[in-house]
Amino acid sequence: MSPTPHTGAPEPPGPEARILLVDCDAFYVQVARLEDPEGVGKTRLLLVGGSSTGRGVVTSASYAAREYGVRSAMPTAQALRLCPEATVVPVPRDACARRSHDIQKVLERLSPVVQAASIDEFYLDLSGTERLFATETLAVTAERIRRAVLEETRISVSIGGSTRRMIAKLAAGLAKPGGVHVVPPGREAEFMGKLDLAHIPGIGPAMVESLEQRGLVTVPDALALQEGWLQKWLGDQRGTWLHQRIRGIDPTPVRSHEPRKSISSERTFSRDIDDNAELERQLMKLVVSIGGTLRKKNLRARTITVKIRDGDFTTRSAAHTLPDAVETDRAIVSVARSLFGELRSARPTKTRLLGVGLSNLIDRDVPSQTELFDEDAALEGERDRALSRIMDDLRHRFGDQAVRPGGVLRS
Amino acid sequence: MKFTITRQHLHKGLAAVSASIPTKTTLPVLSNILFEAGQDGVWMSGTDLDVAVRVLVPAEVSEQGSLTAPGKKLQEITKELPDQPVEVLTRGDQIELKCGRAHFKLNGLPAEEFPTLPEVNFDEGWTVEGRHLHSLIEHTAFAVSTEESRPILNGALWELRDGEMRMVATNGHRLARMGIPARSSSAPSADFIVPPAALGQVQRLFKDSDTLEVAQSGNHLGFRASGTEVYTRLIEGSYPNYEQVIPKDNDKIAIIDKNLLASAVRRMAVVASDQTHRLRMTLEPGRIHLDVQTPDLGEGHDELEVQYEGEGLEIGFNAAYLLEVLRHMPTADIKMSFKAPERAATVVPVPDDGEEMDYLCLVMPLRLLD
Repeated sequence: MSPTPHTGAPEPPGPEARILLVDCDAFYVQVARLEDPEGVGKTRLLLVGGSSTGRGVVTSASYAAREYGVRSAMPTAQALRLCPEATVVPVPRDACARRSHDIQKVLERLSPVVQAASIDEFYLDLSGTERLFATETLAVTAERIRRAVLEETRISVSIGGSTRRMIAKLAAGLAKPGGVHVVPPGREAEFMGKLDLAHIPGIGPAMVESLEQRGLVTVPDALALQEGWLQKWLGDQRGTWLHQRIRGIDPTPVRSHEPRKSISSERTFSRDIDDNAELERQLMKLVVSIGGTLRKKNLRARTITVKIRDGDFTTRSAAHTLPDAVETDRAIVSVARSLFGELRSARPTKTRLLGVGLSNLIDRDVPSQTELFDEDAALEGERDRALSRIMDDLRHRFGDQAVRPGGVLRS
Repeated sequence: MKFTITRQHLHKGLAAVSASIPTKTTLPVLSNILFEAGQDGVWMSGTDLDVAVRVLVPAEVSEQGSLTAPGKKLQEITKELPDQPVEVLTRGDQIELKCGRAHFKLNGLPAEEFPTLPEVNFDEGWTVEGRHLHSLIEHTAFAVSTEESRPILNGALWELRDGEMRMVATNGHRLARMGIPARSSSAPSADFIVPPAALGQVQRLFKDSDTLEVAQSGNHLGFRASGTEVYTRLIEGSYPNYEQVIPKDNDKIAIIDKNLLASAVRRMAVVASDQTHRLRMTLEPGRIHLDVQTPDLGEGHDELEVQYEGEGLEIGFNAAYLLEVLRHMPTADIKMSFKAPERAATVVPVPDDGEEMDYLCLVMPLRLLD
């Protein structure tokens, strides 16, 4: 039997695809400045994220601060040692979400397909617009889009363009800040040939190291190898993936409604915490937050992940996949707590950061299987679901603090 | 150690044992088979630490002794050997095979490194007929849970009673229970939760005509008959009270031609959702309707004539669970009974000769949302 054609899924991009990646330049920094033009707006050395006492991590640093070696995700304390003059401000979350939405609105007017890859990155698929913009090359179109975004939202963006998503992303990196870089059709291989393997999105430090051990550093190093060798070293799937990537092959289409794959939240504490009871309270707060998002999106999750970063920056995580998807805080907490217990007992030390994630998400409206044994034995039953919907409703009407599980209150 | 064995006996022994060898292991000796040459012949053993298999094969032993050697390689070699006597001997930790002009030396490991098999005293146990045990396994083991979240359901419950034995398996969504009147035995009643891998070995290695000795030692259970032994770790804990969840008051009863229903369900399953396999069953006097509606795909409908005189009922099922149960029903007609849309449905065989059979399957419905 042949597989059923899935209507609605766009075809992978052909050689004539016209794909752009619009990437905001130091987005959080720009927003922080726009929100406070007289104060922060005039600061050259700016770090967004963390606190001036040095806790937390840098979400984004101004280009001037980056010259001191400051990078995103670096602990704020370390960033301040590199760049002591810098001003630290918290992430203006609401403003960022609002301005990201504004940018998307502008892009949707200019491109038939827009996919928000993150708060500050948008893929555009302009395939089929060649005749509409007959007089324009893709680079000219990209420059026009860049100016439109800047004029209407006052946010500076960089744009990369190619026939492939991955190459568009790599090209955007070269366009920064405030520029456009388009790789013309037919020149993809030449473009890839100048890169190191470490540049390719999806290749992490561990893979870089394992490739290096086999003498592979640049893309041409790996181009010389047959697919079979890469499969032997990296496994069948990863080997094929890399073999295609270094040839610029990326069949991922740009989709305007990418289904949500995961929901997560994490928190860096203002001081390292060693008290299990306090950590469990924090864990529950995180669960209440992501559980609310899960139910709001009408989803259920099968996989629950807990992440811990110890005081010495060792990051560890544990995950569990359930036979049936769950949606209530009660069920998520019970799994998260046991994962948390495993992680804590494996390395009982002070905790700097705690995170909880939900993945393997499925639609809540799929019919549920009734249980043979008492539903108490199952992680959640219809009663639990009804109860958590009532609590969501109360929070929606009276605010997030209206109802909270007893466990988050300090005893 | 030194013995001469026919190629057929060597092959038969290796085939029996090697199915218990793990395909991947961190303990190298587990990839090996233990050979013990004694007065009665050669014992071969293999284990993955959960289940162990031990068989005795006839051989002319000229020097007693023991060694472990790589099971898979030996099996492959034996498959290619000519039909001539095979001479097997050990030199240090190496095993040598000579057959015709072919000669092999394989690196082995000392017998002491092989895990000790459970010591089971078969004098204090039960005896069961191979055909009885096979029938129980065949009709119930399919329902064992494969999810790790409730380990107690990862085995089949085997109840040995005076005059009867029963086997039950479930994953919490469907259940199979079978009972067989068995010869009374002097040993006391006992309940075991047996992993399906062990039941599979029992099914494979013992014949219907065998009379099996069964005995427990601590956390292990042993099965023995005519030169073949199977040992297994038991799953510990108390099995949920299954009797309590089997409905006694299902009053909507349909007699259905099993094959007609199975083909209709299979047809519907093609269009059912890959995620839930949901189908809707609608009962009305004399007829059952089957429907599927899958968003983004389409819908299907089928119906069949049945013996049914009760009230109308709409109930949802996972088509895969339904098919599995139908496949194990031993008779041409089956009796399905229902109570309400969210209550368990039961399926039992309807024997032609009217003699009751103690076999019941139960399927929990899927909720219908609309």
